[in-house]
Amino acid sequence: MPTILHAVAGYFILLLVVRVLKRRAGSQMTLFEFVLIFLMGGIIILSTVGNDRSVTNCTCAVIAVGLLHRSIAWAKSKSPRLGAIIDGTPLVIIRNGEWQPEIMRGMSLRREDIEAAARSSGISQTDDIAWAVLERNGRISCIAKDS
Amino acid sequence: MPATPQTALVQDSVPKVDDTLAVGEDLGFQRSWWRFERFIWSLFLVILICDVLGLFGRGWLAKARRATPDNALTLDYEHIERASTPSVMTLTFGPAAIQNPGPNGKIQVFVSNSIVKPLGAQRISPQPSVSAVGGSGITYTFAATHAPAVVQIALEPSFPGIHPFRIQLPKEPPIDAKVFVVP
Repeated sequence: MPTILHAVAGYFILLLVVRVLKRRAGSQMTLFEFVLIFLMGGIIILSTVGNDRSVTNCTCAVIAVGLLHRSIAWAKSKSPRLGAIIDGTPLVIIRNGEWQPEIMRGMSLRREDIEAAARSSGISQTDDIAWAVLERNGRISCIAKDS
Repeated sequence: MPATPQTALVQDSVPKVDDTLAVGEDLGFQRSWWRFERFIWSLFLVILICDVLGLFGRGWLAKARRATPDNALTLDYEHIERASTPSVMTLTFGPAAIQNPGPNGKIQVFVSNSIVKPLGAQRISPQPSVSAVGGSGITYTFAATHAPAVVQIALEPSFPGIHPFRIQLPKEPPIDAKVFVVP
């Protein structure tokens, strides 16, 4: 029982911390962000299983986290507001060829991030970007002016 | 006859920006979220400062000291502890605690059952020569020569909560205290 409670607490603590980090934890990961993911996951597992490292205990913890994740996914599909809270909403970084400084500042984005995304979309110059959108998963989608 | 598959027209499910791109941006929500983020990071900072100070155990504010009026027993312990985390309770005995000081001297001390169960006493050092149970606790007897004499009890609280305990020397007022165990 304590393991399940610890797993639930750990899930929500990690969810909150990752969510209030800027939106690059899952996508466009650099080595800098890999450190975060592995370190935080490693720390939270210590309090989840405690001294009981039995197969039973670890299986129960995994099942609890899986069930919780599935329940939240179901709740997100029913409530767009909950989906926005957990995953965020897409944000327009370049709107009709114009930078949106509020979004850049608020999401701690650098122009280099958008330029990298543009290159991976086959756009060689920033001037050619009509729209750039920071997606919910952290990816940046770019649409060229002539498309 | 094969069943007709259910179909639906493909339509944008989210509002368009500038009537061009269906993104579903919600700037009002995002601005509220940024305010929430600032609050949460301030809260995280407060939590870390509290942790450094010892408000969640294992720090300066977690340490406590209690003593009997004549200093026969001085108790150093942590009044904020963490579940499943080791700590040490130190009992320092003064001259008034030792019966027949010298080669045949001894110290008797009563500790309540809560030290053993909720606070998870792991071991007592040095080992008492006699342990007697009764009166909702255990009375330990140690061979002792001269003051100061020190006994340490290694604790490892098993579950969170507020756990009161009592430690008492014969013919002395008891030391009653509480330990707050955080998860």
